[in-house]
Amino acid sequence: MPERTTQFTDTDVLERYPSTPIDLDSIELYRGWLEERLLLSRCAECGHWHHPPAPLCPKCWSFDVVPTEVSGQGTIHLLILVHQGAPAPGVDYTEGPHPVATVELVEQVGLRFTSTVIGCPPEDLRIGQSVSLAWVDRGGAPYPVFHLDPSVEAGAVHGS
Amino acid sequence: MARNPIKDQVAIVGIGSTGFDRHGRRTPASLATEAAASAIRDAGLTAKDIDGVVSTGEPAAPAPQQLAAMLGLSDVTHYPKTTPVVMFALIDAMNAVFSGSADTVLLYNSVYRLPWNSRGAAADPFRRHYTTGVSASPESMSNAVAYTGWASRYLHEYGRTREDLGLVTVNARSNGTRNPLATLRDPITMDEYLSARMIREPFGMLDMDIPTDGADAFILTTAERARDLPHPSVLLHASSTGTAACLAEDQLIDLQHHGQHVVAKNLRDKSDLWLEDTDVFLPYDGFTIITLGWIENLGWCGPGEAGDFLREHWDKDTDRVLINGRVPLNPHGGALAEGATRGSGYVREAVTQLRGDAADRQVEGARTALVASGGFFFNPQGLILRTE
Repeated sequence: MPERTTQFTDTDVLERYPSTPIDLDSIELYRGWLEERLLLSRCAECGHWHHPPAPLCPKCWSFDVVPTEVSGQGTIHLLILVHQGAPAPGVDYTEGPHPVATVELVEQVGLRFTSTVIGCPPEDLRIGQSVSLAWVDRGGAPYPVFHLDPSVEAGAVHGS
Repeated sequence: MARNPIKDQVAIVGIGSTGFDRHGRRTPASLATEAAASAIRDAGLTAKDIDGVVSTGEPAAPAPQQLAAMLGLSDVTHYPKTTPVVMFALIDAMNAVFSGSADTVLLYNSVYRLPWNSRGAAADPFRRHYTTGVSASPESMSNAVAYTGWASRYLHEYGRTREDLGLVTVNARSNGTRNPLATLRDPITMDEYLSARMIREPFGMLDMDIPTDGADAFILTTAERARDLPHPSVLLHASSTGTAACLAEDQLIDLQHHGQHVVAKNLRDKSDLWLEDTDVFLPYDGFTIITLGWIENLGWCGPGEAGDFLREHWDKDTDRVLINGRVPLNPHGGALAEGATRGSGYVREAVTQLRGDAADRQVEGARTALVASGGFFFNPQGLILRTE
């Protein structure tokens, strides 16, 4: 296992994200959430990123997978406006559809992270828009989301 | 003597093991991937040689398509999860190799102590946290939701509109009027499709199949024995399942590289019959985007062109598709009208049509049916059936 970089114990992480499937292969992702850092899996041998977390690198079969912080910058790749869906603190479908966006991150073609986009009327969201990472409180724990950010360089973005 | 055509035809060529203990903390995925990689290396093979993955179905083990993705296997054509204990999986793997469902199969069995198995397991906070692996968050692009996400991408990339999706529904509902087994037997208009309540944009109520109750059953035997039985023989000519490497739906490479492409290529390579021979076309329509995908990825038309293809082959008199004025698309109404049969309705309709028993929806002289079931990710499937 990678070296722990924070003071949060395994039990802290499991208790703060009680309804999230977390195991030994994925816990560093959520330990990162508690300190508001998005850590995705990167192979220490070949440099390839993958998500969601898996115990080995799908490219070279090395088990030396290191949770590594990403910039959180990218472009909207898939976009849904959910009119009725799973309940969550702070999500009220009666106030309007809840956007769910898969963001292609600048770090690698095809490396994507799915969350919502805040601070913009849902009807103004489009595939291809540039976004940056932000953190909100959900149920008493930090939760990663995105917001529109035109300053994200188009040249640094894949798949737009 | 019992039939045993597989006798001495299939071999075990590699083995791998993590070893077993009752104090470890590794995940089932970590154990399964290590044993799998060892076995593939022991056989002198690499990831690109493996086109079958069979699970023994242990409850905490990764699904075969998940293991395939974690190992970076692409173009896998056989990946069932069988019933514990090991011999169901071994026999399935033998049959797969013998039949050509796959050339080289990885069989894996990973056991994992769940909290109720021992005191040691119960003391592990991760085992107590053990779940089905499905997030309850609204921000999910998993399972069924993923089709909405990739539909949004389809409309964006190809500059299409929801009317392309709506043609699939209007066709299904027109066909459902002629199927006495169907849940919905009334036709709809494009305006009704477009004004239906939004659920997950770009999908509304009428882009999704109809939850329903019911059952289908089938009997299979040898072609030789079939000749002595009452009905005309409906032969299973070629089949394939297929998945491309992606560990989660939102990581799918793109709309031109997914499981439907694996199935289309494999099915075409196995079959003597193809699109020009097809009398009945039965593509899955659990979500409308899946049908557009099958039309394009089987090669009826190019990427992004399925809506135009449907318009070009639209029969105005019956308000439905008749390819070249003759070949219907889901004459039983598909999942959008007959109901969410989870694929069995398409196979039953193929048999009914090839027997010539489809009454007022019968395709005259139907001899070949093409069934394309499942979606983009872990469950694309294809089957060609024919009469003798």
